Amino acid sequence: MSTPVKISTPRNVETPAPQTVLVVDDEPTARVALAARLKRLGYRVIEAGDGKAGLEALRRERPDLTILDWLMPEMDGPSFCELVRRDPELLSSQILMMTSHDQPEQIAEGLARGADDFLSKAASKYEITARVQAGMRSATLIRRLEDVTEEILNKQEALERELQSAARYVETLLPASGTVVPGVQMVRAYRPSLALGGDLFNIVRWSDDFLGLYLLDASGHGVSPALRSASISTFLRRDSLLHHVGSNDPGAVLTEANKQFPLTENGHYFTIVFASLDLRCRTLSYATAGHNGVLLHRRSGETCWMAQPNLPLGFDSSTTYAAVELPITPGDRLYLLSDGLYEVPDPSGELWGQARLDETIRRLGERPLTEAVSGTIAEAIRWQGHEQFPDDVALMGVEIAL
Amino acid sequence: MAMQTKERPVPNGVILEMTGDLTYANREQFKTAVEAIRQKGCRHLILNMAEVRFVDSSGLGLLALVSQNFRLSQGKVSMLKPQSYVREIMGLANIQKLIPVYDNEQDALTGHQQAA
Repeated sequence: MSTPVKISTPRNVETPAPQTVLVVDDEPTARVALAARLKRLGYRVIEAGDGKAGLEALRRERPDLTILDWLMPEMDGPSFCELVRRDPELLSSQILMMTSHDQPEQIAEGLARGADDFLSKAASKYEITARVQAGMRSATLIRRLEDVTEEILNKQEALERELQSAARYVETLLPASGTVVPGVQMVRAYRPSLALGGDLFNIVRWSDDFLGLYLLDASGHGVSPALRSASISTFLRRDSLLHHVGSNDPGAVLTEANKQFPLTENGHYFTIVFASLDLRCRTLSYATAGHNGVLLHRRSGETCWMAQPNLPLGFDSSTTYAAVELPITPGDRLYLLSDGLYEVPDPSGELWGQARLDETIRRLGERPLTEAVSGTIAEAIRWQGHEQFPDDVALMGVEIAL
Repeated sequence: MAMQTKERPVPNGVILEMTGDLTYANREQFKTAVEAIRQKGCRHLILNMAEVRFVDSSGLGLLALVSQNFRLSQGKVSMLKPQSYVREIMGLANIQKLIPVYDNEQDALTGHQQAA
């Protein structure tokens, strides 16, 4: 891709300034005669006596059209054209080459080396006018294209700044790694695929020995999933749950969320795991909706994927989700994650997969939780061979030491 | 991989032969093809998935959306011969609860579901 052409002065579209023609010819009489004729036609004319001065004028004045003599000492017309076409700032210049011997082979050579059109030195007044006008039409179209391109680039830049700002907001919704309550540590990793991610998670202290936690994955990419994620994260706040659901039971929470967040008109939806952790009774109660990324790594070393096959949120308003209860023993680690972590392809297209993720987490079981989380992300990156994940990646590890 | 679709009329319905991936990148193409069939008043859309290699999360959402839209116009959607990997993805999201899966065309047409 070429560098976009920068335009130093904005052109006024309503009242166009006279168009400019640069005449490059070492022969003063011919140059002055052509310049006079062009001025009579209403153009602003700049003159240059050799190729070098011509290039300087082209760079400085950005004329709409350049009329160039073929035969000049030091730098001839075709060499001039070649330099222009190699220069990203100048390459879109319109060049009309003038020659006294207009043989077909010579015309072909001139065009091949970068001229846009030809003008015979023997051309009539009428032909000169017509060719100059044709060159101006092309120049106008190219300028318009450059203006539109620049406008698009500017708009895209503005949009990207907006996205970055939204992304910083989404990041503020995520909890910081650290001690949640004494005896419960949380470490998380978050790698959105674009600036703005649709994965969201949280762990919240509901009371001294009661924690609520969830991880959700909005389908799609970009602004709309991020907005929908922010909206459901508000719904999942404890005061909102008490108001809308009247309970913290994960099954009841997801059953209500399923009604509140139907499929969008584009078929977008959430998968989610929602859990509550009772530290006094040492039980984990959880429910999932189409979300497979929930792994319990027991202190004893064994792992179990906890998800049950069921519909994602919004697929069918009559679905009820039921909570499952599991006993927790001190030292157990619970991992909530998005499928973007394990659905990463290696260069041959083979996915890393849940089995390799499981094996990695078991292998890192003796290491501190911080290392287990960062090591797991590093392993996924190693598998795909680069840093940039194709989908949003979220991983929240929770260690219960109590 | 891009997706190609081809319609084939059958008694009381239309079979949509699909080739390629049902993914975010191909969502518009799939939506357009299916919506055209629904607009024609089709009551039973049968998606032939035999040549579909991959369905991503956006693809799953589209399947759910299509099934909802057909239900709204008193129609139904069935699925024919998904490949094993696609079948696994469908199973994890319990899609067969919304869209019955059949292993042959005759069963799909009569609505005769085999015990999986």
